[in-house]
Amino acid sequence: MSAQDFRHPLKRARGLGSAQSGLGYWWSQRVTAAVLVVLGLWFVAMVLSLLHIDFATARAMVAKPWNALFLILFVVTAFWHVTLGLHVVIEDYVHTRWREVVLRMVVTFLAVLGALAGVLAVLRIVLRA
Amino acid sequence: MAEFSLPKNSRVRQGRHFPALDAKKPRTFRVYRWNPDDAQSNPRIDSYEVDLTGCGPMVLDALLKIKNEIDPTLTLRRSCREGICGSCAMNIDGTNTLACICAIDKIATGDVKIYPLPHMPVVKDLVPDLTHFYAQFASIKPWLRTQSTAPDTERLQSPEDRKKLDGLYECILCACCSTSCPSYWWNGDRYLGPAILLQAYRWIVDSRDEDTGARLDDLEDPFKLYRCHTIMNCARTCPKGLNPARAIAEIKKLMMARRF
Amino acid sequence: MESYKIEQHKFDVIVVGAGGAGLRATFGLAEKGLKVACVTKVFPTRSHTVAAQGGIAAALGNMGEDDWRFHFYDTVKGGDWLGDQDAIEYMCREAIPSIYELDHYGVPFSRTGEGRIYQRPFGGMTTHYGKGTAQRTCAAADRTGHAMLHTLYQQALAHDASFFVEYFAIDLIFDDEGSCRGVLALDMSEGGLHLFRAQAVVLATGGYGRAYFSATSAHTCTGDGGGMVLRAGLALQDLEFVQFHPTGIYGAGCLITEGVRGEGGYLTNADGERFMERYAPSAKDLASRDVVSRAITIEIREGRGVGEHKDHAFLNLMHLGPEVIHERLPGIAESARIFAGVDVTREPIPILPTVHYNMGGIPTNYHGEVVQKKGNDVDAVVPGLFAIGEAACVSVHGGNRLGSNSLLDLVVFGRAVANRCAELIKPGMTQRDLPSHALDKALERFDGLRHADGELPTAKIRLDMQRIMQSDAAVFRTGGTLKEGCARIDAAHASFKDVHVSDRSLVWNSDLIETLELANLLDQAVGTMYSAEQRTESRGAHAREDFPERDDALWMQHTLVKVDEQGTPSFDYRPVHMFTLTDEVEVVPPKKRVY
Repeated sequence: MSAQDFRHPLKRARGLGSAQSGLGYWWSQRVTAAVLVVLGLWFVAMVLSLLHIDFATARAMVAKPWNALFLILFVVTAFWHVTLGLHVVIEDYVHTRWREVVLRMVVTFLAVLGALAGVLAVLRIVLRA
Repeated sequence: MAEFSLPKNSRVRQGRHFPALDAKKPRTFRVYRWNPDDAQSNPRIDSYEVDLTGCGPMVLDALLKIKNEIDPTLTLRRSCREGICGSCAMNIDGTNTLACICAIDKIATGDVKIYPLPHMPVVKDLVPDLTHFYAQFASIKPWLRTQSTAPDTERLQSPEDRKKLDGLYECILCACCSTSCPSYWWNGDRYLGPAILLQAYRWIVDSRDEDTGARLDDLEDPFKLYRCHTIMNCARTCPKGLNPARAIAEIKKLMMARRF
Repeated sequence: MESYKIEQHKFDVIVVGAGGAGLRATFGLAEKGLKVACVTKVFPTRSHTVAAQGGIAAALGNMGEDDWRFHFYDTVKGGDWLGDQDAIEYMCREAIPSIYELDHYGVPFSRTGEGRIYQRPFGGMTTHYGKGTAQRTCAAADRTGHAMLHTLYQQALAHDASFFVEYFAIDLIFDDEGSCRGVLALDMSEGGLHLFRAQAVVLATGGYGRAYFSATSAHTCTGDGGGMVLRAGLALQDLEFVQFHPTGIYGAGCLITEGVRGEGGYLTNADGERFMERYAPSAKDLASRDVVSRAITIEIREGRGVGEHKDHAFLNLMHLGPEVIHERLPGIAESARIFAGVDVTREPIPILPTVHYNMGGIPTNYHGEVVQKKGNDVDAVVPGLFAIGEAACVSVHGGNRLGSNSLLDLVVFGRAVANRCAELIKPGMTQRDLPSHALDKALERFDGLRHADGELPTAKIRLDMQRIMQSDAAVFRTGGTLKEGCARIDAAHASFKDVHVSDRSLVWNSDLIETLELANLLDQAVGTMYSAEQRTESRGAHAREDFPERDDALWMQHTLVKVDEQGTPSFDYRPVHMFTLTDEVEVVPPKKRVY
């Protein structure tokens, strides 16, 4: 609060008012977290079951419809959750407006990219099986 | 970007030392000092040796003994000295609390370190500028909002509904919780902080209030409300034993409840 | 003298002080369309109203039969017939709508099963003119003052009232005709002087409990309004009546509400005896405060005190059970644990009568207008000046205030002042210029203290004063020690000429503020000691051992005391108002006061 700021404290406290959002964000973060706990356990179990077997068998395992479906779900949820989390971190710590906006966009872009790549990879395995 | 270095003139240096001669029960108090009149100089830590014989049991008693007998320029807010007015909120031995109900002998051995409430602009010594905190309080319109005509007598309220206000109405606005909250440190300009959200919830659950929807509308914002990351410093530090984090969680639950 | 830049403000009304009374007046005035500002030395919710515990009296009859006339009778009797009965009638009748108003503002009162405001018994509150026990005190657990003060501040926010927070009022400004025209104040956060001009000034500055060494009062209770009024050459009233609360925590002095006894707690001495049964056979522990404080003092004096030095008594509430304590007295349990190290569900609380309230103060009528005696006119109004709350002496409390009547006093007369100002003042009326010398005296005094360079630190003089008041104007008083007390307090007052202010800065110079406060305290301490010395009777809280009886023939009158710059007091008297406002209630003639 610099000496040049003649705004009334109430004006500053009110700011731009309520954005009427935030619940969706907050709820999605909780839901994706819960889903990730379940899918994460499943994912670990699957990866463990892939140990010590040959490549072709492993591919066939991944290509099974349920496994492929859960894998896609896992990849998408993970990237979604990461995006939400990183956005919050950026909002918390980055206080230069343009940097904040750019960082958020970069994070979103990379997450979409990552999720798409993951999904494509799974699909490729499924379709070639 | 996030600030990782201290602003100019904020590095705290060693200040004066006031020894106590022939003290029977000496204890050293290291107190943050800064006077805006010497705006060029950095804040400093003055250390005072206080003879605890003939001194009251609380940290406030020691601070007033320092002010009365050693250094009258030491500046702090104080009033009720019984933990109800909220004036003497400060950071003692790393925890935000009220100096008047913080017993000296409860503080582990060693020097007693006293700083103003963290992350607030300092007016002088232990006096922080709480203007924004108070303005945030005003911004939630913290008064009974009704539309129905008031009855000739009281608005009835069941003891059960009244019980819902317990743990909320006792808040003394000392700002200990808000200034202990990292989220409030980083985004205090927009995040309302635990104290104000607790106050907001106090009106949301009051069975006599008729503006619940508008109150929730006003809070539904990624910054005003959802900066709470359940760090729980607020509940840990509250000198009145209240739990603002719980109140915030209840608000979030109500936000959900009205969607489904 | 340094030349000071003074920022000017113009309002219709200025309220000084933001406790219960000040806040109620502030938003009441705003509601009436007047341009009002509240000037306060602490943020409103830090004011000492916040520490009131037990409750606020009003004959709502939520928990058994009640009538405001019973309340009227109890208040007259509690005040030992020194209260003005017209004002008492006004307060007790207006109590009822005032409480409902508070509920509508949102005060979180405790509730009965029917959803109504919970009411508890309190000292001196009876039904049928002393025959039964009344449940009259409306409570929000044992934090009623806190609940009320916060609600009143919130209402002030709702009414967009202007606040000047952490501004210290230095002196009242009068014109040559003797009308109060404003107040000079110091902005503590920046160190600048501000002149608030107004058509009226309302003093809601609280009591001067800190004139004593051990008081339930906050550090900020320094009677700044009373000090300013004395410096303006006006008289204060009934200063000798200082209430000792029977149950301050031994040592710390923090308040333990009378509500503890209202809920069934009782006092014991070293023999474990419930000694109040001897002193007040029918009301017992719920006799009025002066009676209970004297009883405790006598017990201690006669060797039946508890503790190592046999110098205090016990307050027992273990038998109430953890449930009642948790629901109705949670704050007490907390205070006793912190300040006495006592678990109230198992052990009694060590207590001692402690200075609590000033019945005396700035004399006013029931509208809150400050009155003085001018020639034959004993009710001459001082134009432009109002006083309310503990700062004022309406006088509804007479010689001794009943518990839970002070929160009532705040809201009723805060409201009354707003109503009166709305009748008298036209919003935005032009204000005549002040005479050029209007500020001279106030500025000169301020400048003198700002640069005070004597030998004695403020804290030293303050401690002297507090010790003198504590020893010589105590629960029991007698001619010899009062005379001695007068001489000693004179010396303390005189030593103020040699005060030393160490802090020379402008921003938040609390050393200077404490010195200004000390000046206010000293004048009132002198007024109190001398008033006590000259009143040769025992009435209410003023108990003279050399004159143990009440003397209605000679002393049924208010003491008016002025204290000049040298600290010399002078006295005059006003008659007690032995009439009522309406014929709905009859004057209670004086009789012997037994509980």
